[in-house]
Amino acid sequence: MHDRDAIFSELRSTLVELFELDPELITPEARLYHDLEIDSIDAIDLMDRLRRQTGRKIASERFRSVRTVSDLVDTIHQLVNES
Amino acid sequence: MAPPVRTAARPFRDLYYVRLATTGLGFLLFGVGGVLLGIVVVPLLLLVPGGSAARRLRVRRMIQLAFRFFASFMHHSGAISFSVVGAERLGRPGQLIVANHPSLIDIVLLIACTPAAGCVVKREAWSNPAMVIAVTGAGYVPNAPTDVMIERAAALLSAGECLIMFPEGTRTVPHAALHFHRGAASVALRAARIVTPVFIRVEPPSLTKHMHWYQLPDPRAHFALRVGGDIDPAEFRRGPLPIASRAFNQYLAAIYAVEAAGS
Repeated sequence: MHDRDAIFSELRSTLVELFELDPELITPEARLYHDLEIDSIDAIDLMDRLRRQTGRKIASERFRSVRTVSDLVDTIHQLVNES
Repeated sequence: MAPPVRTAARPFRDLYYVRLATTGLGFLLFGVGGVLLGIVVVPLLLLVPGGSAARRLRVRRMIQLAFRFFASFMHHSGAISFSVVGAERLGRPGQLIVANHPSLIDIVLLIACTPAAGCVVKREAWSNPAMVIAVTGAGYVPNAPTDVMIERAAALLSAGECLIMFPEGTRTVPHAALHFHRGAASVALRAARIVTPVFIRVEPPSLTKHMHWYQLPDPRAHFALRVGGDIDPAEFRRGPLPIASRAFNQYLAAIYAVEAAGS
């Protein structure tokens, strides 16, 4: 999963599975906390899952600046394309 | 709530001035003892040879002893009355103890009753010079940032230690609806072997969030700790953690709502 579209669609299915969200709600503009009700504790569970999927650990400082689904896609994109 | 006012119709009752003096003395002892413990006794204890686990245990035992002395002083001097039911079930390996948080001294009373417990403590304690050595030495877990708290709390339980958490985070206003943060539920499902709720009741309300220490209720406050039945977190470990921890948190909140309604 190296391009943004692939990351987005994989992320969408992860979010649907972890949080039982309606896939329609998960758009690039959707805000994690305000629109999807993913709070700081959910974020920890989400990062655990992403770490297993990508094999890389997202530093929590990096996650704190994430507001929307598209921010998260960018963060994962940077992460998997690093080094 | 203001201190009681003496009128012909309402004289001071239940030895108000005696309680005022012993309560003040109790908190003075606590403050002075706490500083001595934090900057002299605990650092000395940490110098005694032993592995890091042995040192941590030693510091926790010292804190338990000091808090037990405080609780006993407050009770026997008549400042408060204090009772606990089921204390023998506190302090088991991998046990997460959760409690409601009505008063200033809940954690003191709970630690006094729990052998070698770890606990989640406000992060500010690590910037307090009188406390930082003790909380670090005891291996207590700072409550923030949340991800670090959850990781460390879960690691402590996985290692077979006992941990105390207040899911409400901060002291609550008497008779207000309880709001449980999901952190404790998440830690429970990640790593606890057993979860044991403790119900704390303070009647009449005393040492609450918006009261000064000298605003003593009439009659004297009774602090009752009751250890509830064990909960097996394994029954809630189904499906993805975010969903499961929400369900477990609701379950915990419901237990406390029932308890509050029944009292």
